[in-house]
Parts: sequence; C-alpha cells; structure tokens
Amino acid sequence: MRVTGDSMRLERTQPWVPDALWIERGEEDSTLAQRLRARLPETPVHVTDDLSTVEPKADLTAGKRRLLVQRHRGTFLQHCPAGTTGMVCCNYLVMNFGSNCPFDCSYCFLQAYLANNPALKVFTNVADGLAEIDGVLRAHPERTFRIGTGELADSLALDHLTDLSCELVPFFAARPNALLELKTKSDRIDNLLRLDPQDRVVVSWSVNAPAIVAAEEPATASLQARVVAAARVQAAGYKVGLHFDPLIAHDGWEEGYRDVVTMIFSQLDTRRIAWVSLGSLRMTPQLKTAIKTRPQPAAVLTSELVPGPDGKQRVWRGLRVKMYRRMLEWLRGVDAAMPLYICMEPAGVWEKVFGEALTDREVAHRLVSAQA
Amino acid sequence: MVDSDVRDRIRAYAGARAYSVATTERWLRLASRDGDALLQLALELRLGENQLRDLWDWAEEIAGRDRLTLRDVLVAQPVAAARARALGRNDKLTAIKSALRRLRFPQLAAVEDRLGVVIGSLQLPRQVRIVLPVHLEGDQVRIEITVTNANAWRAAAAALLAAADSPACSELFALLGEAP
Repeated sequence: MRVTGDSMRLERTQPWVPDALWIERGEEDSTLAQRLRARLPETPVHVTDDLSTVEPKADLTAGKRRLLVQRHRGTFLQHCPAGTTGMVCCNYLVMNFGSNCPFDCSYCFLQAYLANNPALKVFTNVADGLAEIDGVLRAHPERTFRIGTGELADSLALDHLTDLSCELVPFFAARPNALLELKTKSDRIDNLLRLDPQDRVVVSWSVNAPAIVAAEEPATASLQARVVAAARVQAAGYKVGLHFDPLIAHDGWEEGYRDVVTMIFSQLDTRRIAWVSLGSLRMTPQLKTAIKTRPQPAAVLTSELVPGPDGKQRVWRGLRVKMYRRMLEWLRGVDAAMPLYICMEPAGVWEKVFGEALTDREVAHRLVSAQA
Repeated sequence: MVDSDVRDRIRAYAGARAYSVATTERWLRLASRDGDALLQLALELRLGENQLRDLWDWAEEIAGRDRLTLRDVLVAQPVAAARARALGRNDKLTAIKSALRRLRFPQLAAVEDRLGVVIGSLQLPRQVRIVLPVHLEGDQVRIEITVTNANAWRAAAAALLAAADSPACSELFALLGEAP
C-alpha cells in the first residue's frame, strides 16, 4: 500500500454542522433539543413521530449529514464490543449518549456496525444514563470502572453543539471508583478547559502515522492539531490517553510510526499519560464489503490481511507482532513507565510482545492502578 | 462499464451458472477489458460464483495496491504461467490461486517459502510431517507421525529429537514468532 500526504497542519477543524435537525416528537423541549436549535439557527428543523422513517438506511454518508435528536430507550452502559472470546480484553465499559460520527475514516468499523442505523444521533435523556451509571458504581464500590463514550461515537466531535462533556466531567469528577475516557479524533476541547476533572477523566486521541491520517481519516483534526489539543488538556489537569489503533502496515510504516511517537512525545508530558493502546487493523467481511463500496476504496484493503480464529482479518500474526514490538520499543524508549496494552489480540500475541500473557482482570487492574 | 458484446457474454455465463444479481452487476460495472479478462478466466476454469469471487477479490486488491488494471493482474507472468500449465481443471485452479496468493501476500509468502526450506533442512523422515498454522496465524506447530511398527516409531522420535536441537528448529519458531 502506498499512501502519501501530510497531516501536520495546525489549523483547527471547522466545527461540524448538520444539514438538518430531526427531533423526535415529545423531545422538542428537552434541554438538548433547545440547545441545538439555539446553536444551529440556520439549520432546518423537523419534528417527527417516527425518526426511523428519516434515517437514510444503508447510506452512511447521508447519515452523517443529518442529526437525529431522540430519547434513548434501553441501557446506556454496555461492555465494549471489542471484547471477544479468545482475545485478551481490558474489561472496558462503554456508554452511548449518541451514535455514529461525523468523520469519515475509511477503515471505521461503524460502516458495518451501524449499516442499518447510519444516522448521527444524540440522546436527550443524558440524566437517565448518568443515573444508570451511578447505580452501577454504587453497587460495586470495591471496583474501579473504566468507562468510555468513544466507541459508537466520537466523544468530542459534537461537543460544541451538545455540551455533553459539561455533564459528564463533573459527574465523574465526583465519583471515586470510575474513570471516564473521552476518545476523539477532533480538537474540540473548549468545554474541557473550563472544567475540573479531579483526575477522574482521561481525554484520549486516536493517532496514526501522518500518511494514514492524511489518506484515510478525512475530516478529522490533523495530527498536529490533536497533539496540541492533548497538550492543552494535560495543562488543564487531565490525563491523556493515546490509541495507536489501527496500526496499518503501509509502505514506510516503521518510519511513519516511529516519527509519530517522537513527534507526540516531544509535546506531551509522559507523566500525564494515562495509557497507550496498540491495535492492529481488524476487518470483518461486512466491513470489507462496506469499504469496497466507498467512492474511493481505501488503501487499507491492500494490506496483507488474513482471517483469524474470530473471523476478523488482520495482517498476518508475525507482521503484527513485529509492528507491536517496534512500537513498544519506541514507546518504552520515551518512558518505560507508561501503561501500555494491546486491543483484541490473543494471549499468545501478548506473550510475544510483552513477554507475559495477562488475564482480562490483570490488564484492567494494571490500567486502573496506574492512575492512582 | 463493459461494452455490449462483453456484457452479453458475461450475462450469458453468469446466468448459466446461476450467479447472484449482485455479483453479475459488479462484473458488469468493470471496464470492458477487465470484465472480458475475468470472463476468459471464468470460461477457462468453469468457475462457480464463489471461486470467481475469491480470485477476483485478490486480483482487485493487487491491482489497487500496484496501480494496475484487473486485466494486468490476470495476465501477469506468474498467473499466466499457471494458466499455461498442462493441468486438469482443479489443479489449474489451485495453481492460479496459489500464484495470485503469492502476489497478494508477498511478505507472508516469502516467510512461508523460507519455512519450507527450514523444515526441509530438519531432515526428518517421510513418516514425520510438520504442519504450520494456516496463514501463519499462530505459533503452534503440529507434528504428525505416521508409523506401522516400533522401529519406525523409534526412528521418527530420534530424528525429531535431533531436529529439536538444530539451528533450523530455532529459526522455524523465530519465523513463526515475528516477521523478519
């Protein structure tokens, strides 16, 4: 695979604005709906009894252009979908206050995962979600939970419209047995800078080699803009997480990933890094099909991907291990104390990379205890 | 988009083989020369839909990576050589698939080749077979011993013991553990 480009530009990304706002009837007067209407005065607003009729089925691109505002029915808190039998898992929990993402990363699993529900959605009943989480935290005071909002959505990409972080950060800042992770590829941190996280909030960025960011992550903040934002939230009292995921075997990957490690850690304080994760590109058959239908099929499909025991394709194991070990070498060279883990790999790969195979519980415990 | 003559022949072939509409439509969306090249391959090997799609996907991914057309890949030297071999239909399909796989996974194929050489240098008797994980997705090696008497069993065990101490054995596991 050959990718070229430069994602080192610094200018901030334009805030995302939808083409239309669709509000579920009965939620028009919700705080969120009112806030969105106030902040999007030029955007057409529709109120409807049945939002499913306006969802552009099987069209993720169209789905990303309209914002559906609705009440969430069902549980907010779930186990991370990455948890898979046979893979070491970090016991992460995800809470969904919305669904889908305005960015358009070519490799994004949401293309397949949300194929039948492609609209960008935000949920009005955030208080219900927080009450649910509060119940879980109170029921298990002996445990510390890592909970993130960035699996089915980007945690911050819509924050300039929703102010969701203004509800989440104070909530978690007041709870001793949970860490909130806000995961993003944006640089929308303005709200965060006005809040006090009390060391209970980690702001994480997905990062990649510059060539991959430029070619495969349209509409996201540039790498440099992400790192500048990370440095600013560190200075404001947050810990920062970094996710080198997906690592993609492209021409020049060694130089690309080594350089990005150097570039990032020349600007961030490693003592304020909560964790760094590594993950190889994972490709389900459904995702591969979705990627092939993109107007410009992604170069990621040309990596040497082979099927694994969980049905997902990854670059073959020897190459994955090589990539992980190089990354580990570079990261350890920066600061040997930074907590590192790998996502969705079997114990055998952990053993090759780290020299030990941990259980799910041990991984989770290490990541939590490193924040004490 | 394929031109009308090729389109008719693709429709006739796909119809006769009960291909799905989705696959047929995808085929018809190709450039004429690519669609025709795929049709020649399908006719040559009497390919069913899944067989065609497997070869097509790899060829398409190679073309995307190397900035070639689908036709370029299907007539490239290693594939053309496999197509030219005097083999039965099934063996020829296997040979073409193997040639395409080598083009699609060059680093993996190179490691597999090296592993073949390394296993050969272990000098194991014919009764012992080393089975590697599919696509090298794992580091477990299966050793199969097939014997009909105690002497052969003893000889196989002795050969395996000797091989375990050889540099080739170390290289085998090193190659399975991490790409060179």
